[in-house]
Amino acid sequence: MNDWISIPLVAFPLISSMVLLAFVSNASPKVREGLVKPIRMACLVFSLLLLVLTTGMFFKYFGDVSWMDIQFNDYEYFASYAWIDSLGINWTVGMDALSFPMVWLTTFLLPVTIIATWNEKYGATYFPLLLMMGGALIGVFVSLDLFMFYVFWELTLIPMFFLILKWGGADRKYAAQKFFIYTFTASVVMLLGLITLFFLQEPNTLASAGSMTGRSFSIPELIDSARIANTGDNWFLGKTMQNILFVMLMIGFLVKLPAVPFHTWLPDAHVQAPTGGSMLLAGVMLKMGAYGMFRLPLSLFPHALYHFQLALMIIGMVSLVWGAIVCLGQTNLKKMVAYSSVSHMGVILIGIATMQPMGWAAALFMMFAHGIISPMLFAVCGAFKHHYHSMEIGAMRGMAKHSPWLATSMMFAWMASLGLPLLAGFVAEIMMLIALWHMISLDGWSIWWMVGPALVLALTAAYYLWSMQRTIFEGGDETQPPATMDGQIIPDISNSEKFAMLILAFFTILFGVMPWIALDMMDDWTQQIFNGLILFVGKGGA
Amino acid sequence: MASSSDVILDSDMVQYAPLIILLPMLAFPVILFLGRVFNKNPFWKNTLKEGGLIALPVMAASLIISLLLINDHIGGFAGIKDSMNLLWVNTAVWDGGALEPVTLGFGIYIDHVTVMLLFVASFLCLLINIFSVGYMNTDPINDNRNHRFYAEFVLFCSGMLGMVLADSFLWLFIFWEIMGLCSYLLIGFYYERPSAAYAAKKAFLTTRIGDVFLVIGLVMMWDIFGSLDYDVIFNAVEDKEFMAGVSSSTLQWALGMMFIGAVGKSAQFPLHVWLPDAMEGPTPVSALIHAATMVNAGLYLVARMFPFFGAEALSGDLVDLAFIIALIGGITAVMAAAIAFVQNDLKKVLAYSTMSQLAYIFTGLGCAMYLANTLDWHNDSESHYIVVVAFGAALFHLFNHAMAKGMLFMASGSVIHEVHHAHHHLHHHDDHVEGEHDDHHDDDFDAQSMENMGGLASKMPLTATAMLVGSASIMGLPLIGGFWSKEGIIANAWRVAQDDPRFLLPAMCVLIGAGMTGFYMSRMWLKTFAGKPNNEVAAHVGPTNTWIKIPLFTLTFVTLSAIIFAGMGFTHWAPDSEYAFMSEKGLVEGIVYEMEHAFANSDSFFFILTYVAIAIGAVLGPGIAMSLYGGNLAEGEKAKPWMKPVIRLNAWVYSRFNFNNSSIAESGLTRALEQRLYIDYYYDMAMLKIVAAFSKKSAEADSAVIDGTIKSIERGSQSLSSIVRSLTTGSARDYILMISVGTLAIFFFLWGVA
Repeated sequence: MNDWISIPLVAFPLISSMVLLAFVSNASPKVREGLVKPIRMACLVFSLLLLVLTTGMFFKYFGDVSWMDIQFNDYEYFASYAWIDSLGINWTVGMDALSFPMVWLTTFLLPVTIIATWNEKYGATYFPLLLMMGGALIGVFVSLDLFMFYVFWELTLIPMFFLILKWGGADRKYAAQKFFIYTFTASVVMLLGLITLFFLQEPNTLASAGSMTGRSFSIPELIDSARIANTGDNWFLGKTMQNILFVMLMIGFLVKLPAVPFHTWLPDAHVQAPTGGSMLLAGVMLKMGAYGMFRLPLSLFPHALYHFQLALMIIGMVSLVWGAIVCLGQTNLKKMVAYSSVSHMGVILIGIATMQPMGWAAALFMMFAHGIISPMLFAVCGAFKHHYHSMEIGAMRGMAKHSPWLATSMMFAWMASLGLPLLAGFVAEIMMLIALWHMISLDGWSIWWMVGPALVLALTAAYYLWSMQRTIFEGGDETQPPATMDGQIIPDISNSEKFAMLILAFFTILFGVMPWIALDMMDDWTQQIFNGLILFVGKGGA
Repeated sequence: MASSSDVILDSDMVQYAPLIILLPMLAFPVILFLGRVFNKNPFWKNTLKEGGLIALPVMAASLIISLLLINDHIGGFAGIKDSMNLLWVNTAVWDGGALEPVTLGFGIYIDHVTVMLLFVASFLCLLINIFSVGYMNTDPINDNRNHRFYAEFVLFCSGMLGMVLADSFLWLFIFWEIMGLCSYLLIGFYYERPSAAYAAKKAFLTTRIGDVFLVIGLVMMWDIFGSLDYDVIFNAVEDKEFMAGVSSSTLQWALGMMFIGAVGKSAQFPLHVWLPDAMEGPTPVSALIHAATMVNAGLYLVARMFPFFGAEALSGDLVDLAFIIALIGGITAVMAAAIAFVQNDLKKVLAYSTMSQLAYIFTGLGCAMYLANTLDWHNDSESHYIVVVAFGAALFHLFNHAMAKGMLFMASGSVIHEVHHAHHHLHHHDDHVEGEHDDHHDDDFDAQSMENMGGLASKMPLTATAMLVGSASIMGLPLIGGFWSKEGIIANAWRVAQDDPRFLLPAMCVLIGAGMTGFYMSRMWLKTFAGKPNNEVAAHVGPTNTWIKIPLFTLTFVTLSAIIFAGMGFTHWAPDSEYAFMSEKGLVEGIVYEMEHAFANSDSFFFILTYVAIAIGAVLGPGIAMSLYGGNLAEGEKAKPWMKPVIRLNAWVYSRFNFNNSSIAESGLTRALEQRLYIDYYYDMAMLKIVAAFSKKSAEADSAVIDGTIKSIERGSQSLSSIVRSLTTGSARDYILMISVGTLAIFFFLWGVA
């Protein structure tokens, strides 16, 4: 058996977390208190097992799979089982160089998040929920069946909803509902798109077509048939339908990403969410949007992508610039970081809209790099809140004095996020800029498109540095920080937090100095997908 | 594209070159971590000097490897390119028909420009490290946080050396940013001071604005050449066939964008505002980063552009950019010198002086670029000589300035250090409490103000000597240090001005600037070391410690022996093998040649120009300063014999020509200069009133308009659903009515369809 995905990577975290939750929910509060430590340890061990598995996959210990030279629409660890045969629904899993980095990232962030939020309250239910979140996220990235994809897509909402609702801040009820309803509504549009796609396909042609419907939910088979259909001026499903479906799917993904103007659920969710929730939300959940774009609309509807290139570029630019400007105007530390995510997700959209393999590789690497950096940003925010009981920038100055570890972590994370060279984020940014300029000069776009990214390079530095000036620095004669707060001495971050920060910092440096570890497979994959889609680009699209 | 050229030399040493960068970079976490763990441990504190003695051998090793590498280079006198090229990013672009592979890699590239900067950087890093041990570890305010200083210090050195050795514009930029980070961290070393926090942010943001343009320049450059490697690009610009397909105006724009980056990093107008504030950092930081090395990065970048200007295919196409480079230099030279007139803070005078001298180098480079771009220097040997000497003069000034200014800052640091100690000794001797060392700012005493100094020549003889030699070098006093290069820059500016009248402006600026330099540097020395002590504190200053003396002595020696360097061919420091290092002439002949060239130029125009420049810079400027400041030392104080003539002359001029300058001192211009010409003020206002205000409004709009729309949709659907819900009355009568109406409707509908 070569199926290393279904049971170990997806079913195991989901089922074990549900078992733990069921076990805990029947216990009395007192017993629950006693269960925190063993459950926490179990969740950590389980998540570490997942990490060992995916890391082993990278180093070819499991199944001897190489992540290079994966052809477009070809998947490693591919496995497919009939699920609802009559409808053409199969349990199909597999990974390529698009999904594997995301899966690894999820399994990497799970233990880090558990360690970083080691002392979270109600731990007996909190840690299993994180584990469940991880399982659902992995499920999204490995599904190769539209139905399955949608199920996991929505499944991720449930643990996150409860994480915000139970462990969130003062306004958590509103934030949880807004988060759920907003993204769910968008997902419904996406679902309609998926179902339309299901019904519009040529009946009884695909191998895994259902006995009753004659149609299939299989992503690889749909992509294959689309690739065959998308030749020259032919549009798979026809031009109009392709454009409509593209928009429907993109609505779901753009809201999840999120892109301006669909971003306002994010700051609310982040500000109210607990640290662990924020770390997973920013680290992996946002990337579901970008992942979905690559997996479905880009692969299925390249003509429509070309058709909407300008729109995507505009949305990307607006996200990038607007996010950065709003960041500068924030007074709440966590909100600022949340908006910076919006700004960075703009980079992904721009990378896609460049229609260059380098731009797409930049987008993929940005997904990955942001997935490591943003959890650190939120871990810092969480620790700040925990220590100083406030999120207001400027409420507490001179942090370097009494919390040097926190101050150092903050400095590091902020610098990584603003794109300091030799840290992970820079690689994606410089690649995006090169690809963008290349596209501008190749396709004869106006050079004014360069103004947005240029402005943001400066603005990003401005909001991060300004916030550091008012938190880490100062605290001198006029703004002396108190030695105690509520009568208690303000301690530096705890050892588990230090450990988590060090791990995140280490990987940020690792992927900044040696980006090729992750970037090579992404570069290779984007070139493969480009070769797979090349027929239309040469013709200049519609 | 172009293949690697045949002048590339195989050097055994080059395989160790990455160590020059790696050693300090690895020392960074080591010092930081050990410092965190062993803080307050006596061995760590006293024997290892809180990391200072870990940094020291590392920097020494870097220097030794650098020297061996330089030796290899001089022996072969050709470029060295490391064959090992680390592939960093491996991707592709779509070129409208096929996928073109793209690689971004790292390697080592060594040519004349590299060698100059490599020596300056590694040499000064080591010297200033020695100085730091004497300076940082003896000041109680730094106790238990020096590890942070040394860690950031070595990281900076790594960045600087990396920038110099890197083989592509991309890696130049990467290390450039690392330096920016260290500059930021070290300016904000005293993080608890709001002024330091502000200065750090200002420095990072101002240079960041330049960096944005630099990035755009890089990206444009990449698009033109398909690579950012020097090797590929410089071979491509010599390839006429390839260059025929390149738009020279696009290339000029790309280079111009990169030049803006250089303007930011080298603190030139209009991005100069950060440098004076950067003096908030500890003095070794000012000496190393903000005087001797990092600010030279911009110059290095411009010097790197030489092959573009020198390319035959681009002949005459880049003169506008050359003019802009020279003009920015000219403006900054005069502006910074003028502001330096009114500064009373010792370090601020030096900061403006740095700005002004860097501007000289920019002017020199701009003129050299112009000459390279217009003259047929590839074929005509006379033109060739002119270009090589013009470029060499600018780079030699960089060398001289780095040495002199590094020394001046260290000397000023030692003065401040001792003044501070004297103050401490006088005022806190009786009520000294352990742990209460916060006296850098516990009262209004300003140890950096020249108002609190005066007459220190006899108390700190070595420091005063170093300062005297350094000032003389910066002023361009004949025979000393900067004279040899500054004359060249002025002469070349005028040479170009004869050809292109636009250059008259920078040429005038550098000439006038020479006089202004003479004035403010003399003023600084006289106010600090000559005359009588201004107050009780200055009267009690004592000599300094050995760690500080070593680098001061070394650099005094280096500065005084500039003529030897000139004789060795430092003035021909262009990427060209014909003017080999000491190859044509021996050392003595070289020195004689330089002397002859400087003082007895065969061209009557340059002969006169030389003496005019000397008259302005070495007589007029210092003369006015002498008539206004200084005077004899206090009774019983004896200066060293070599300083006596200076002080005697000063006393004579002071007594003979002293005049009342209060009308000038109270004029509007002086006030404007004191306010730095209001430039900082308007920048701050623009930040606060426009950028910050706009972003605040945007943040409000984001929640009011964008989120508001979403909320109103939500409310709309809620009220809609409540209307629908109101139909659910719970009364059986209503339901029966609805069922019957519904049934009827379906019935009629089906009937209609049928």
